Amino acid sequence: MMPLFNAQLLSIDINETRRYAGLSKAKDFSLKLLEDACLEAQLLGQAKGTWQLYDYDNITGTVLSDKPLALNGEKIKAYLKEASKLAVLAVTIGEELEKAITEHFSKGNYSYALLLDAAGTTAVEMAADQISKAIGQQANSIGYTTLTRFSPGYGDWDITAQPDVLALAKGIEAGINVTTSCMLIPRKSVTAVIGFVAGNKDINLITKEKCSYCNQLNCVSRKGEINVSDI
Amino acid sequence: MFQIFDGAMGTMLQQAGLQPGQCPEIMNVEKPEVITNIHAQYIAHGATIIETNTFGANSIKLAHYGLSDKVSLINTAAVKAAKAAAGISVKIAGSVGPTGKFITPLGELIFDEAYEVFFEQIKALDAAGVDMILIETIIDIQEMRAALLAAKTATTKPVICQLSFGSDGRTVTGTDPETAAIILEAMGADVIGANCSLGPAQLLPIVKQLAKSCSCPISVQPNAGMPELINGKTVFPMSPSEMAVWVPKLIEAGATYIGGCCGTTPEHISAVKSAVLSCALPVRQSPKEALALTSRSKTVYISPTLPTVIIGERINPTGRKQLAADIKAGQFLSVKKEALEQVRAGAKVLDVNMGVPGIDQAAAMKQAIQELSMLVDVPLAIDTSDTEALEAGLKAYPGRALINSVSAEPERLESFLPLAKKYGAAILCLPISPAGVPKSAVERVEVIKIILDAAALVGLRKNDFLLDALVMTVAADEQAAQQTLATLKLYREHFGYPSTMGLSNISFGLPNRQLMNGVFCAMSLATGLDAPILNPFDKTMQETLSAGAALLGHDKNGQLYSSKYAASLSPIQTAPVVINDDDILAFIRQAVVNGEKEAVIPLVQRALEKGFSSVDITEQALTAAMNDVGQAFGSGRCFLPQVLLSAETMRSAFTTIKEILPSQSIISNGTVILATVKGDIHDLGKNIVAALLENNGFTVIDLGKDVDTDDIIDAAKNNKADIVGLCALMTTTMPQIDIAIKALKDNGCAAKTIVGGAVLTADYAQQAGADAYATDGVAAVNLAKDLMKQ
Repeated sequence: MMPLFNAQLLSIDINETRRYAGLSKAKDFSLKLLEDACLEAQLLGQAKGTWQLYDYDNITGTVLSDKPLALNGEKIKAYLKEASKLAVLAVTIGEELEKAITEHFSKGNYSYALLLDAAGTTAVEMAADQISKAIGQQANSIGYTTLTRFSPGYGDWDITAQPDVLALAKGIEAGINVTTSCMLIPRKSVTAVIGFVAGNKDINLITKEKCSYCNQLNCVSRKGEINVSDI
Repeated sequence: MFQIFDGAMGTMLQQAGLQPGQCPEIMNVEKPEVITNIHAQYIAHGATIIETNTFGANSIKLAHYGLSDKVSLINTAAVKAAKAAAGISVKIAGSVGPTGKFITPLGELIFDEAYEVFFEQIKALDAAGVDMILIETIIDIQEMRAALLAAKTATTKPVICQLSFGSDGRTVTGTDPETAAIILEAMGADVIGANCSLGPAQLLPIVKQLAKSCSCPISVQPNAGMPELINGKTVFPMSPSEMAVWVPKLIEAGATYIGGCCGTTPEHISAVKSAVLSCALPVRQSPKEALALTSRSKTVYISPTLPTVIIGERINPTGRKQLAADIKAGQFLSVKKEALEQVRAGAKVLDVNMGVPGIDQAAAMKQAIQELSMLVDVPLAIDTSDTEALEAGLKAYPGRALINSVSAEPERLESFLPLAKKYGAAILCLPISPAGVPKSAVERVEVIKIILDAAALVGLRKNDFLLDALVMTVAADEQAAQQTLATLKLYREHFGYPSTMGLSNISFGLPNRQLMNGVFCAMSLATGLDAPILNPFDKTMQETLSAGAALLGHDKNGQLYSSKYAASLSPIQTAPVVINDDDILAFIRQAVVNGEKEAVIPLVQRALEKGFSSVDITEQALTAAMNDVGQAFGSGRCFLPQVLLSAETMRSAFTTIKEILPSQSIISNGTVILATVKGDIHDLGKNIVAALLENNGFTVIDLGKDVDTDDIIDAAKNNKADIVGLCALMTTTMPQIDIAIKALKDNGCAAKTIVGGAVLTADYAQQAGADAYATDGVAAVNLAKDLMKQ
């Protein structure tokens, strides 16, 4: 079991940052501002995460941890319907970037602060990708294929699951905490489960975008045109 | 000569009675006959090398079973069990697997601890009489480096290094086969290969990459295909005959050591052996004739036949007070910033110098190298004269570094060259002898020969060198440049190795140094400079290098040169605008729409000079512009970051007006209290709303995030607020909106309420009793204006 993994932030994907900033369709936005934001996020991001593996009962939708956790939400259960194990992960890029965003905003650099926030989101997702890759390899070596990440708050998986999920991931070891209103601190943090399904099956859900599980239809970062009722 | 490894040990052990949760390696001690029997089966099926049952026999893995003090016992027993089966013709490879932990800075295992763990195991295997060491299934190059270093110290026997790669062709921590082969060959691996994780089909391209990147023999031990879970058990589906089909392809790709990993059985090895018998030895392509430097995940080649490589010189505290102070204080943010910006400016290698007087240079170098290895993927040059700092840096670096520098001074040769060999680093050879700096080119060549001869004695090879031509200042010696150029020429004729130098010293003490440096750079490039050490932010140097690349044939049709030139033209230069005073308000309006916050300042100043009032400017230009932007946003023609740039421009315009006419107050459109509700710590969206409202003439009192309802009521009353804006980002905090609105009403507050935030909907806002629901910041401004009219 991997107690702590510090991810490398060798670059911040500028196109993802553009998308998170709601600029996917903006053709002539300053490339330099975006590059500067990505560079600063790279500089200030301290990407680290933890993960743990558990057996999963896909009939009852229960994570078979020492203190079993029943998952509430039809979509999370549907997503995990063929999984017999899962990884629970928690990832953060720390608080420094957050402080910088606040500082830029207070200086009146509103647009740049927004871009930096978007670059921070990209950074934490990229860190989660690295951890997902390590989990994927671990899964493959014992005969499983992994599904994409699914986080509390996606679809109908209630955000109140956040404290339990963070605890299962042992996210506190990466310096991640949760408020009574279920927000992660530092803010640029993610928890998620990754389902393990047997063998190399062509699982339909694997290829679905994360956006397809999200109810925020007006989100400026949304990928493609997805009808949530189809999920 | 081919060698056939054996196949999987774990599945054979399970068949022989290993229980789940039981330590596989303890069977070496408790049931050695079982282990000997498995080895015998593989030998009977054609294995020429058997692997000891010691994959997890290191103290970290054994600790899971409470056996960490039994490393020697278990490894010795394993070798004994193998020997009982091997006879005289079969070789025994001592298997060394991963610790299961990541080494710092990726994880928490200290490099030296990992080294000690591997050393203990390998020493035991060596003492027990293995023929070679097989380090296998490693997913991080730094762990492999620790194991290989331990092996090279613990034994003189051959060492095989096998990494596990993912389906994307990289290890979990990002190393590609080319980079791995270069790092491991330089550190003295005898055989380099890949095992586990993938089947033969997926490993084929990896074998190809390994083979073309080094001269070592290549080994491969695939799984029997990609695993599947059937009835709760992991099954590797590839049959022996299917696996045998891949053998000729793996050999053609360069492999000469072939065996199996997970899911392979004696029958698989038999099939592999049969397939090997009909194959000829592979014809190996020679690796590139170039100096290869690597990071963990990228290789950079330097050669007279390749494009010029910039070595960025900026991470050097000499003469830079702030950088020196930061390093001294253990603050590496400025070092990291220099690194990122140099890479962005085109540096392909970064020089790292921690030469601050009075600090622990080894500790600083270690920290710098660790921090940078997590941040940039360009290779690093460790620039120090301190042996301890050099070793700390080399040890911490998960790549093949360049040592800057090795002179012909005896203490350097004695202390630096063995470290270069040990850690697989390349060396920058500096022609300085105990007699000092040789003045002439011929003397410099003689000194370089001394360094190269000493390097050869410790085992460094032809592609390990970068030769410094040495630059002295032309202000002190009119022949300085000539001698440097002559040195470059002689280096090329005598050695053929790539060359480097720190260019800017040439112009020391002279005016217009940039011109001098640029011209000298061009002359040097033409004479044979391959990797200048320079400041990548120097525009003249960059332009010279760009033109030089085209002239030296490294830029087809000058395409890169042309595109760089085009990118360097700023839009302002290309479109000079003549501003007509009558249209000044239109220009201000356009500047706000375009988000040109610097350009708007002189426009506003001019408008005021020409007698326009602040009201004219505000209403006819600024407000009109924000209306334009709002409409463009509403119709999807512009996006939030652009709206915010316009808001910044508007702020800039207001500030200018206030500076020139401090007594003129701008009439407020109304007072708005803003708050993110109790329990919610998100505030970027709320801050955006505040900025937009302020720039649209509202007086905004921003209470921040996680605000108590009582504080909202007090602020609304005390400030006679016209509007209260509330936001919540999460379902868990959304009910606080209801509570706040109800409390405002219960306390007789007449302010209108606008609510918003990611999870809110118009329906929710309505049932909570809000006067309006805003989907975004622009909508909030429009709603606020509407509410003020009511």
